[in-house]
Amino acid sequence: MRNYESLYIIHPDVVGDELTAMVEKFQKVLTDQAAEIYKLDNWGTRKLAYPIQKVERGCYVQTLFSAAPEVIAEFERRLRLDEKILRFLTVRFDAEFPAIVEAEPVAEKAEETAAETSSADAEPVTEEPVAKEAAPAADAAPETEEK
Amino acid sequence: MAYERSSGPSSAPPRRRFSRRKVCRYCADKKQKIDYKDTNNLRYYLSERGKIVPRRISGTCAAHQRQIAEAIKNARQIALLPYTASHSL
Repeated sequence: MRNYESLYIIHPDVVGDELTAMVEKFQKVLTDQAAEIYKLDNWGTRKLAYPIQKVERGCYVQTLFSAAPEVIAEFERRLRLDEKILRFLTVRFDAEFPAIVEAEPVAEKAEETAAETSSADAEPVTEEPVAKEAAPAADAAPETEEK
Repeated sequence: MAYERSSGPSSAPPRRRFSRRKVCRYCADKKQKIDYKDTNNLRYYLSERGKIVPRRISGTCAAHQRQIAEAIKNARQIALLPYTASHSL
């Protein structure tokens, strides 16, 4: 299970219930494939740096989740199919998920993800943050880089 | 010759180079992470025309410059940063 972060832009004309329905739909796509959603953050409508498909604003939705690699292809395929999605970007999240607590379910997920990543040692990328504290891990990595 | 820093092959000695003595911001402050969503910090590394500033001007180290470039390119793709200064229609 790898940690990913996905950010997608929804057309600004989609609002209210339609918007929440759409976001739920994509969350469902992830959970149906046994992904664990760590965080869902709707940044709301903001101005784009450049017009996309002639529109100047868009609704940004960020989601952090951990899943098997095959899930990403399907998720992106669904995003691509939907015409209301203007852009999407899925990135591998190298560090541990930040231990920010928005609500109680998030706290449980944080422990879950931490326990999982510490047991799943197959990934060389996350081997440093497995220590679970950001500070010593961040100190260790750039130190060796600097030398 | 003592004035010449290692920012490139040395040319005529009297000419002072552009070279920045200042340390890479991310090496100095190890807590800071380079994140493509962090547009406020990334804007420092874009010129006024929206181009990525070269390393010898911004003073970052090589590894961090690569990470910054990748973050900027990701941010551009997701319309958090512009590709150019004037995206006129």
